[in-house]
Amino acid sequence: MDFIPHDDKTINEMLKELGLKELDDLFDDIPKDLLENQLNIPPGLSEPDLLDKLKKISRENKMYQSSFLGAGIYYHYIPSLVDFVISRSEFYTAYTPYQAEASQGFLQAIYEYQSIISRLTEMDVSNASMYDGSTALAEAAIMSTILTNKNIVIIMEGVHPEYIEVVKTYCWGQNIELRIVSQDDLMNNLSEEIASVMIQSPNFFGDIEDVAEISKNIKNSAPNCIIVQLMTDPTCLGVLKPPGLIDVDIFVAEGQSFGINPSFGGPGLGIFTTKQKFLRKIPGRLVGKTKELNGEREGFILTLQAREQHIRREKASSNICTNEALCALSALIYLLSLGSYGLREIATQNIQKTHYLKEKLALIPGYKILNTKPTYNEFLLKCPDIDKLIKECKINDLLPPLRISNYYPNMKNVLLVCVTETNSKDSLDKFLEIASKFKENIMGDS
Amino acid sequence: MDTKIIFEKNTNHYNENCITKMDVITKDLSEIIPASLIRKELPIPNVPEVEIVRHYINLSNRNYGVDTGMYPLGSCTMKYNPKINEVIARIPGFSQVHPLQEENQGSLRILVELSKLLTEITGMEGFTLQPAAGAHGELVGLLIIKKYFQNKNILKKKIIIPDSAHGTNPASAKMAGFSIIELQSNEHGEVPLDHLEHAMKQGDVAGIMLTNPNTLGVFDRKIKEITKIVHENDGLCYYDGANLNPMLGVCRPGDMGFDIVHLNLHKTFSTPHGGGGPGSGPVGVIEKLIPFLPEPCLISNKDGMICGERKATSIGRIKAFWGNFGIILRAYSYILALGAKGLSKVGRVSVLNANYLRYKLKKRYHLPYDRTCKHEFVLSDKGIPNDVTTEDIAKRILDYGMYAPTIYFPLIVNGALMIEPTETETKNNLDRFVDILLKIYDEAKENPEILKKAPHNTPIGRLDAVLAARTPKLRE
Repeated sequence: MDFIPHDDKTINEMLKELGLKELDDLFDDIPKDLLENQLNIPPGLSEPDLLDKLKKISRENKMYQSSFLGAGIYYHYIPSLVDFVISRSEFYTAYTPYQAEASQGFLQAIYEYQSIISRLTEMDVSNASMYDGSTALAEAAIMSTILTNKNIVIIMEGVHPEYIEVVKTYCWGQNIELRIVSQDDLMNNLSEEIASVMIQSPNFFGDIEDVAEISKNIKNSAPNCIIVQLMTDPTCLGVLKPPGLIDVDIFVAEGQSFGINPSFGGPGLGIFTTKQKFLRKIPGRLVGKTKELNGEREGFILTLQAREQHIRREKASSNICTNEALCALSALIYLLSLGSYGLREIATQNIQKTHYLKEKLALIPGYKILNTKPTYNEFLLKCPDIDKLIKECKINDLLPPLRISNYYPNMKNVLLVCVTETNSKDSLDKFLEIASKFKENIMGDS
Repeated sequence: MDTKIIFEKNTNHYNENCITKMDVITKDLSEIIPASLIRKELPIPNVPEVEIVRHYINLSNRNYGVDTGMYPLGSCTMKYNPKINEVIARIPGFSQVHPLQEENQGSLRILVELSKLLTEITGMEGFTLQPAAGAHGELVGLLIIKKYFQNKNILKKKIIIPDSAHGTNPASAKMAGFSIIELQSNEHGEVPLDHLEHAMKQGDVAGIMLTNPNTLGVFDRKIKEITKIVHENDGLCYYDGANLNPMLGVCRPGDMGFDIVHLNLHKTFSTPHGGGGPGSGPVGVIEKLIPFLPEPCLISNKDGMICGERKATSIGRIKAFWGNFGIILRAYSYILALGAKGLSKVGRVSVLNANYLRYKLKKRYHLPYDRTCKHEFVLSDKGIPNDVTTEDIAKRILDYGMYAPTIYFPLIVNGALMIEPTETETKNNLDRFVDILLKIYDEAKENPEILKKAPHNTPIGRLDAVLAARTPKLRE
């Protein structure tokens, strides 16, 4: 099939008006030997055949009743309202709102997104979104070097390992020195030469860090150092103290938890916020409120575009252009659907259910919770027999937790377990039952 | 119409509709998490569901999309977004799959198969689907160039970019650590070979970033000579695929001599723009550059599809997980739906439609580069009466219920109006667009005030951009 409305007659009419005989005449400025004869691609499919084929491929993926896997992408309940609103094609088939007067709907929605994210994080300003959490973090690293005119960035070991890799690539591109530092070594690495310290909390291993305390210590020995905080599941902001109240300079997050399907890891949502005083260096688009030139009504428009590539070209603060606007809309509708009471309840359920599982697991011989700090919805579990546990989870229709050795080969027999509000008590008890089944094997290599 | 913002609709009513019932025994929160880490206030509103629905339906009515009407935005390829792709993206076996789960062969198959299709379409030999947007793809392509020369121990610090390039090109080059040599296009809007050769001879030039057809919509006839000169001087040729649509099934960047190509799946391959994203910007390379592609690299063998071994030569990761899979899936469906024949019809009809508009509009408007165009063409503001500006014209187009072209870009045309109709518009729509532009020209002559104060029929009048930037109000 194709989506071209012209029939042959119309095509010929149009060609005739142009004084041409056939479509190929439109390409006579292309050297003959460059013209393609026939792409080696199969013939087109009708809708039903296409749908059938794709459904078949989708069955090569496995779906589970309940999940214990997180590590950057989380299963949270998505209110029906979210897909309903983002399916309005006035929104999803629009381009970036260059013509503000014909795009007030989306512009206002993005303004509302910026507002709700600023309120949720208590940061001064939010941009209109970045690609995802990992690239938002990389852009934060670059922004910190621009703000401080310094060239060394410190990233803490507790940051998601894939994010560290992404930041590494971006820093290499701009010749920024990146140091991966453990919390014990942080103070030894601080000096006046450091542009920023980037901390994830709750971190990759589940620990809620005392960012206020860390930040205070950093600023004592390096007062101009930019503090960057990252979150990969910001539903925790329903309960945890927001970055804006603990003197974080740039806060970034992966917003997939806010009403966006896991979808094999993308698209997600890069949340990017900062303090008012750093506004002119923020990467990405911003929507602002303004007035009519010839009237009094208020409206919305893309603003501070002098920072952006289409005007500044190589002097821009970033090359970002397309962002994740529709995902930002999902996040907005998600947060509104829950409201402050709902988000607090979701965060509380994540904490309580995780705590329930942690406490019970700790009682089973051979199992050990490795976290010593409080956790949100993820924790490290040392197991007697990780392979059997994972296999048994799958048999029982549970998506098993992450083998942490996928990222840290030395950490054998350790799982990163994730529990959200979508885990019923039944699923938690099932997991406990499976864990108990393999408790005898503590003589193994635990 | 109700134009309040959502925060004004707060009723402080607890909406429990989306909350599951708590089914485990709970403890006092402060027993689990120290009180010093817990927030007190949470200043987000509580709005009844029905009011949220009405609010956003009303907002959608104040927004224009491709489903509303023609969207002739140059260099943006605003084609129709097939609805079947939305259905496919929502198949739970795709949408609910976790990127780190082990039983993922269906998702990996989509990635492997789409890479193969794009390889064939562009004439490249390897692809990464990781980049989340065109500009992200550009960055990846440039990092590959950087790594390639670093690996050969050759210092290359500069990159050539014509003045007609998309604004992202120089910004991306800078992010990869290159400085830019801007090349002035000649009177045909093409790359002057002598200047190119001179620039390449500087020695530390890594190559060129080019889009062909360029932003004037014209095909650079000397493309083979251009890529040859760059290669002879030990440089690489980067193809900015933002303008690939007219080349579909017509002519491949690989055959033109390009070494690296980025594509915009949200332009050429019909995935919706989502009001500014998400997009997807895959990058293709020739064989000798495959070792430099970002991690993870997929290979397919007898065990199925798996991640290849980490390569020391890779530029590294550029995004968490696998790329914008939901977008990749839609583009894959689009290519399967169209097949070889459909794709080549896309290229040809997009060019027919653009030339049809060009032919009709140049009778009244100034067309600085007057030759057969490809997917788009650029008019200038020269000769428009009574000091009416390009912006005035754009705003007036909105009054007639259509979206405006890209304006003031490319920079090499004064008061540019950059028009790209795409292949999915009917002849009636094209004719209507012509009628609107001709009528506006007459209005400029007879009643310029109506243009200078336009738009009049939109939900709001022309907005004050200067005020917005001078006193930024970015939140409630």
